[in-house]
Amino acid sequence: MKRRDLLKAGALAGGLLIGGRALQGSAEAAANPEARIGLAGTDGHITLPGRGPLYIFGFATVPLAASVGDLVANYKGKAQHVAPILDVKQDNDVYITLTNLGLVGRPDLVDAHTIHWHGFRTPSALFDGVPEASIGVPIERQFTYFFRPHNPGTYMYHCHFEDVEHVQMGMTSIVFVRPAQDGGSALDPLHRTTTYAYNDGDGSTAYDRHFAILLNEIEEREHDADEQIQEFIFTDYDPQYFTLNGRVYPQTILPNNDPSLPYQPVSSLIQANPGDRVLLRLANLGYLQHAMQLPGIPMKVVGEDATPHSFPYVTNTLYIGPGEARDVLFTAPPFNPSAPVTTDARGSYNTYLFKNRDFRRLSNRGSPGLGGMATEVRVYQGSPLPAQTSVGETYA
Amino acid sequence: MRKALLAAAALLVAFAPSARAQAPAVPRQGIVCTNGTTFDLTATPGYIETPDGNSVLMWSYALAGGEFQSPGPVLCVNEGDSVTVHLHNDLTEPVSIVFPGQTGVGGSGSSGLLAKEAPAGGDATYTFTASQPGTYVYESGTDPEKQVEMGLYGALIVRPAGHPDYAYDAATRFDPQREYLVLLSDIDPDLHHAVETGAPYHFDQLRNRYFAINGRQFPDTLQDNGVSWLPAQPYGSLIRVKPYNATGNPLPALIRMANVGTVNHPFHPHGNHIKEVAQDGRPLRTPGGGDASSEHFAETIGSGQTQDYLFSWTDQDSWNPGSNPFPASVASPDYRNLTFKDGNTWSSGSAYLGSKGTLPVGTVSQNICGEWYFPWHSHALNEFTNYDAGFGGMATLLRVDPPGGCTAVAGTASILAGTLNSGTATALAAADTAYYKVNSTVSGTRTADWYGGFTGVPRGSTGLAVTYTGRNSIAALPTTLWIWKWSTSTWVQMGAATGVGTSDVTSTRTPPSPQSDYIGTGANAGKVRVRVLTTGTTTNFVTQGNLLKLTYDAP
Repeated sequence: MKRRDLLKAGALAGGLLIGGRALQGSAEAAANPEARIGLAGTDGHITLPGRGPLYIFGFATVPLAASVGDLVANYKGKAQHVAPILDVKQDNDVYITLTNLGLVGRPDLVDAHTIHWHGFRTPSALFDGVPEASIGVPIERQFTYFFRPHNPGTYMYHCHFEDVEHVQMGMTSIVFVRPAQDGGSALDPLHRTTTYAYNDGDGSTAYDRHFAILLNEIEEREHDADEQIQEFIFTDYDPQYFTLNGRVYPQTILPNNDPSLPYQPVSSLIQANPGDRVLLRLANLGYLQHAMQLPGIPMKVVGEDATPHSFPYVTNTLYIGPGEARDVLFTAPPFNPSAPVTTDARGSYNTYLFKNRDFRRLSNRGSPGLGGMATEVRVYQGSPLPAQTSVGETYA
Repeated sequence: MRKALLAAAALLVAFAPSARAQAPAVPRQGIVCTNGTTFDLTATPGYIETPDGNSVLMWSYALAGGEFQSPGPVLCVNEGDSVTVHLHNDLTEPVSIVFPGQTGVGGSGSSGLLAKEAPAGGDATYTFTASQPGTYVYESGTDPEKQVEMGLYGALIVRPAGHPDYAYDAATRFDPQREYLVLLSDIDPDLHHAVETGAPYHFDQLRNRYFAINGRQFPDTLQDNGVSWLPAQPYGSLIRVKPYNATGNPLPALIRMANVGTVNHPFHPHGNHIKEVAQDGRPLRTPGGGDASSEHFAETIGSGQTQDYLFSWTDQDSWNPGSNPFPASVASPDYRNLTFKDGNTWSSGSAYLGSKGTLPVGTVSQNICGEWYFPWHSHALNEFTNYDAGFGGMATLLRVDPPGGCTAVAGTASILAGTLNSGTATALAAADTAYYKVNSTVSGTRTADWYGGFTGVPRGSTGLAVTYTGRNSIAALPTTLWIWKWSTSTWVQMGAATGVGTSDVTSTRTPPSPQSDYIGTGANAGKVRVRVLTTGTTTNFVTQGNLLKLTYDAP
């Protein structure tokens, strides 16, 4: 591990974002610069409205240099959901070391964990994370997964050990691959950004801000059964909560690393200046198809399943099935003073709702009022927001 | 009684007019076509078995005179064919067939809402012209919320005229040896039980518990077509490919997917993306006629839809232990610190395709010679189950075989004539500086005659090929390669003699058919013996074997 990576990991102790971008453009970058990532699999609890703490399995970001004993002492029982969003670059060598810390709440379970990079063109079954066709990582053991991604776009990762259980229990997140084209603004028609969704060759996927958002559902009976050493019949699946990055509205609009949600550190709040080109990296690791809308702002679908669309299309309702990913671009509209205006520390803004069209999924456990799979897009007056420095950055 | 039925069936087949559909020899894997233009189907009840030990009543279409099967037979016709389907009804209520995607379907029978019906015990006939190539389904058009749920469905394949190796057009050319059907269905066993017992049938209480591909639930999906222990579910769905190679293996596999279930299914292929080229029997085109195919790592197929995919598997980095190894820190994990789930694995234990590693003692391997296995499954993971047990249901495996097939090296060497000079069989593992050396006989016509023994070659392997690299201590001696024929306990010569002198010469030979004769059975199961015979001089010499290798395609 290079010192620069270590410092970056340390700076993001909240575990929102880790990855190889620190090396981008650096003098150290060799033919295949490395990204080294430490993840631990364990259990924990998250907070949802209308009930007590919900038992989960999940991943947490952990330092690579620590001993297994130190990791157990410091991180066991402290899983987060969603798991850390991983940010890597095309053609870089990615090493993900997984440590299984065991379960505080279920000491009787000896489940292994794995990491399946969902959608990756896998050259070796050894690193595919399927425990029946590869290995599983037992408690207090480690394994390093190796990937060299060549195809930019939005992917997922999740545990594949007894996956119908471990995925629902929360061992899920997004991994995205930045294109080799990143780094220069020459292709950007506006000449103001160096970031693109794909190697488009013409700047058509240039973006000013990007947000990685994982759609999911929570079937609380399954989580409760797991905590209470009972069996849940998965064909009874009928979830009560519908989440974005492991939170339900209005949790979704709290900032990253909000202290009220210590194990749900990833916000889905989208803040933008007028005219900003915003890339949504969307993925679904629930078991249901979702219909997502952003009323008032057309959504341009530029990629699907980490493949650029030959013919991007504009839609107002985006269907996204389980295991699928979409890359959506939109341009933040001008600030409209005659529309409803709210004010925060950054100034006045208009609010748009990125939400599920199926309003049964806009409720938290059936309670009245807006909840569930929704977040806000806030477009400010003027351009008060600084340039984005990491995916999904929020501004208090 | 059963024997009599079988005899009757045999008679029916024997006397069927030749224009009628004929089921060809069933391949072990891949799509099983019932080819023809005229098909005789019988709607009939039967039972399927699920991996959790349940038995579920199904209704299905069977070939007249054939056994009950679920799903119905895969009807394969050619574009432009005038197709006739006769339906006989052995159920106790009227049934019919509709052909979504076909137009101008005519027929006879008693009147029905959507199609002519065959009354209980009666018949109906349908005719149409298969005007558009593609993948389609056929299903009951009568009381579908009951009869389709009960299983009255199957796949209809229309091949382009003159081009059975195209799905549609030249852009959809595929390897005919790698054509696969993935027919998705879902089952609520309570509803089926209600039909079985005559209890009220409430479709609004649908709760799917079983999710199938080609009528089987994982892991039964991996079994060969027509295995005896799944008599009512004849279609497997193991997907097999070899790595893409522009010269040696340029053509993709064709995956014909259809969803006859009640809900949409998000299908997730591990390994590489799949390329969707058509939907509902129409190639994906832009309004201007351009290519609108798309690559996916998961794609939702709607209830009643069909989708066609081309699939090639590629290792973009061509990792190999020789010239392009994985980083040393990850290539050889210590398996003693890891777990193979339930001690039973498809893993080869190696990071490289075509290699096998050493698995921990007590771990059972299902891996033959270093091939990859990747699950292909519904990512609505509640469907990746058998009722309540995970890693079941709507899933199969992709198997990626090594590019050259399986490779075995001689594990033993035995001398038939002559004496050991130096070396052991391990010298035969690679073309290198180590040789297995045999002194010739020392009187008369000198002869060095020895054989290498191979083990672990699975029964049913095909494409056997022997490669021998060796030299002699004196110039050009005729050398012949032989293979042991277990059934007659004789050596069979493979090809003509090759002149082998003082530098290495490589010969590749394939034994004559049938190749099953050369793979031992019983106490000799999996054994193959290859003999190297050098003779034709009155001077003493030494034969020096460098490499003795066997390649084969595992079943």
